[in-house]
Amino acid sequence: MPKHDTPLLDELEKGPWPSFVTDLKRQAEKKPECFDILGQLELSFRDKITHWKHGGIVGVFGYGGGIVGRYSDVPDRFPGVAHFHTVRLNQPSSKFYSAAKLRDICDLWEKYGSGMTNMHGSTGDLVLLGTTTPNLEPLFYDLTHNLNQDLGGSGSNLRTPECCLGRARCEWGCYDTQNLCHSLTMHYQDEIHRPAFPYKFKFKFSGCPNDCVAAIARSDFAVIGTWRDDIRIDQAAVKGYIKGEFIPNAGAHSGKDWGKFDIKAEVLDLCPTGCMWMEGDSLKIDNSECTRCMHCLNVMPRALRPGLKQGATICVGAKAPILDGAQFATMTVPFIEINPDTEFAEVIEVIEKIWDWWMEVGKNRERVGETIMRIGLPTFLKVMEITPVPQHVKEPRSNPYVFWQEDEVEGGFERDVVEFRKRNAQ
Amino acid sequence: MALSKDELKAKILEKALTGPKAQLYVKDFYACDPEAGPRDVKNAANDLVKEGKMTFWSSGSTTMYAAQGRAKDEENR
Repeated sequence: MPKHDTPLLDELEKGPWPSFVTDLKRQAEKKPECFDILGQLELSFRDKITHWKHGGIVGVFGYGGGIVGRYSDVPDRFPGVAHFHTVRLNQPSSKFYSAAKLRDICDLWEKYGSGMTNMHGSTGDLVLLGTTTPNLEPLFYDLTHNLNQDLGGSGSNLRTPECCLGRARCEWGCYDTQNLCHSLTMHYQDEIHRPAFPYKFKFKFSGCPNDCVAAIARSDFAVIGTWRDDIRIDQAAVKGYIKGEFIPNAGAHSGKDWGKFDIKAEVLDLCPTGCMWMEGDSLKIDNSECTRCMHCLNVMPRALRPGLKQGATICVGAKAPILDGAQFATMTVPFIEINPDTEFAEVIEVIEKIWDWWMEVGKNRERVGETIMRIGLPTFLKVMEITPVPQHVKEPRSNPYVFWQEDEVEGGFERDVVEFRKRNAQ
Repeated sequence: MALSKDELKAKILEKALTGPKAQLYVKDFYACDPEAGPRDVKNAANDLVKEGKMTFWSSGSTTMYAAQGRAKDEENR
């Protein structure tokens, strides 16, 4: 396969940052089809249009996801990428894998694919870029039999669930994210591998409100760790921070001299609800007003820790901006216990209520967050059998009309109009 | 569910084979048995794929169903 002239792509090698163009040129020495990737991309830069065709019927037997068909619309000019399918592998929870495992996956991909990878995709998958249709089944066989690794989700399926490091490495984990992520991955194998829904559906699990996997922005079903009692305060450690004995933010911003730690300017005044204050040299918190922004815990991790009654908040309906712009997930279940002893039955019940409703009323290619926007949060909460709380309200109502449900009005909506006119006739 | 699973599968396949659209969303099959739940319809359609009578077509973000031979097959175009 010949090299192509790529003057536009070559510009991307000139900055101080690593360049995928350089990587592709290096890889092309072993896998000549990578020259054709560069050639086709150069053509796309010139034409200002993609030259990948959209979708296909490729997959492995029994699976309706995990492989994304990609074909060139200029295969005569770039035969090396005539087929260039993407394979998504389900990553281990928290992306805990050994270097040996990564080498095995890379070796397998050198054997069956272009050798190009994308780690990690938005749902955390190990993404393998570029193979041909005849290679798919042999790759899948080796992957599942030799590497004990499965495909991830794609299409109108449950996408590969993803979680943060959780309690494995983080003191703020309010539940075992890895356990929940792995358990639900196993529980919902059918939904991951075969299409079930009007559109994609993503689970993400964060152990605390720092939300390191961006569950609230990127998942249809975000499980974010929280606590329902009081933030634990070590007053001696608070004094230690004030005296400069401990570095704030655990040293995370220590590359510059910020001056002496100022608890008022750096913590109290930055609390979004103003629920913290000092009484003498003691820190006080009105926990009922805490919105779990995590700022104070992040600044003074020795002094402040999450409460002991731990669980999670479930938020529903985040999405990227295909329709109506991007949206964050809406807080739906304020607090739920994450209980491995029940095999997470409480969480599963919430998930399946959402799915039953969305599968019924969701339109084709409509994310659940869009369905909620279209039909309305009050209906969604009713379906979920959740009593609204003030935190469900985005802003005070500006519409002056009051909409009652019929069963909330004495006598319902039926009335004797003739009788009404007798009393109210002008 | 008013229809048995086999009856539902037959209706789905008929729609996939004879409908004006070659590729259908799973929701398009709900009308095959209005009394069946979405999961029943989805399971029946997926069974037909396993049996080789239908196939998935996926853009990567959305999946559609088609009777064997009716889906847009980029490989053979």
